[in-house]
Amino acid sequence: MIKGNLKVLGVVALMACAFGSQAFAQAQGCIVLKSTAETEKEVVNDKGEKSKVLVPAGKIVPGTEVIWTVTANNICKQPSDKVTINNPVPEHMTLVPNSAFGPGSDVTYSVDGQKFAPAGQLTVLENGAARPARADEYKHIRWVFKSALQPGASAFARFRAVLN
Amino acid sequence: MSSSRLLGAVCALTACIGFGSNKALAVGVPAGTDITNTAEVTYAVGATTATTISNAVVVKVAEILDVAVTRQSPANTAVSASSTQQEIVFTVTNTGNGPEAFRLVMDSAIGADDFDPTPASPSIYFDTDASGDLSPGDTPYTPGTNDPLLNRDTSVTVLVVNDIPATVVDGNVGITRLTADARTGSGTSGTIFAGQGASGTDAVVGLSGALAFGTGQYQVGGVTVTAVKSQTVVDQFGGSRPLPTARINYTVTVQAVGTGNAANTVFSDDIPANTTYVPGTLRLNSTLLSDTAADDAGEFSSTPGPHVRVALGTLNQASGTQTIQFAVTIN
Repeated sequence: MIKGNLKVLGVVALMACAFGSQAFAQAQGCIVLKSTAETEKEVVNDKGEKSKVLVPAGKIVPGTEVIWTVTANNICKQPSDKVTINNPVPEHMTLVPNSAFGPGSDVTYSVDGQKFAPAGQLTVLENGAARPARADEYKHIRWVFKSALQPGASAFARFRAVLN
Repeated sequence: MSSSRLLGAVCALTACIGFGSNKALAVGVPAGTDITNTAEVTYAVGATTATTISNAVVVKVAEILDVAVTRQSPANTAVSASSTQQEIVFTVTNTGNGPEAFRLVMDSAIGADDFDPTPASPSIYFDTDASGDLSPGDTPYTPGTNDPLLNRDTSVTVLVVNDIPATVVDGNVGITRLTADARTGSGTSGTIFAGQGASGTDAVVGLSGALAFGTGQYQVGGVTVTAVKSQTVVDQFGGSRPLPTARINYTVTVQAVGTGNAANTVFSDDIPANTTYVPGTLRLNSTLLSDTAADDAGEFSSTPGPHVRVALGTLNQASGTQTIQFAVTIN
């Protein structure tokens, strides 16, 4: 008798566990995040008019400006709130000043990955004294989206950086 | 950036001498490096918060082919008639971002001088013993056999060796030239050699065209006019990287050494390719000169190519150092 009760309890515990992880897995998979690297290429049409198009960045040389785009797509049936995209400036690259933007988002930057602030409000210590951080010292970018991301909708964040 | 782009000239007694840049611009990230980006998103669905990582995007750094040739000897190497084995010292620097072999060619049959120096045999040596002059320990260069293989941002010292003809007289000048080009290939900036770069990446011809030359001059006796050029780079981030829109401030010092006068000495320097002269920056001994011709000693002109020019008049040793300054921005 005692043995039987224990068995039932064990099954209930297992079920509770399973429900919890399923809900977690659903939330976890709601946003698919995609990152792409592109460069601008000048093309000339039949009329001799020049325009710039984005082409995938395969191999690049120092001095090349790369346009990094991060796309967040909500694939769930519920909206996602408080959508925040974080992207470090890739190693060996320098952020192009004022190049980070994302429709419907507030962009902040960080030098150390801890403290984030709008452009121009960050400081770094130099010889013990604080001075304003230069744009090339920004190592992290954060986009905080002001509205919920609706089912099926996409948000995107973009920045430009130059290969050192 | 090659010395060919930074080539300048000092003219005295109707003869012109060229000089190369004294400093190669820095190289970038090494060829073959992977640039990786991964983004992260945090969000809430109801009461549950979640985090998702993006795919990792990898962009490979291609090899840029660039070279600079810089003369180490003074602008004028003093010689006498019939002297043999007279060396002029150059530095060949790999200003690209990957290891590269370079071909070396010397040429002494150049116009705008009074005589052609006679190339010695062999005529190009490596300064193997690092003595700065031609000595028994130095290794002769044989094209295709011991082409210098240089890692990024490293250089080799090369001696160009000529004999001086018996027929020259005091004041005569003779020019010699050393050219270096990348073995992978050279040509128009932007030309791609697919798969031929370091680590199997593409090789791309850089701003130098992957070919550069430096010139040196022998002068027989007399007064010698030397010019030394230096540069500082100021980029838009407050650093010193040669990025587009960065400003390069050039300072050239010109000096006459020896006996006698160098009459009608004219300083002329081509604005380097892929850069633009900053109007109103030409100075002689700190005094601002106008860019317009004829109103004072200095001028900027776009023909035949963009260049600055300063008439220095008669120079002799007592004149002391003349300092010329101007600035360009990288396009």
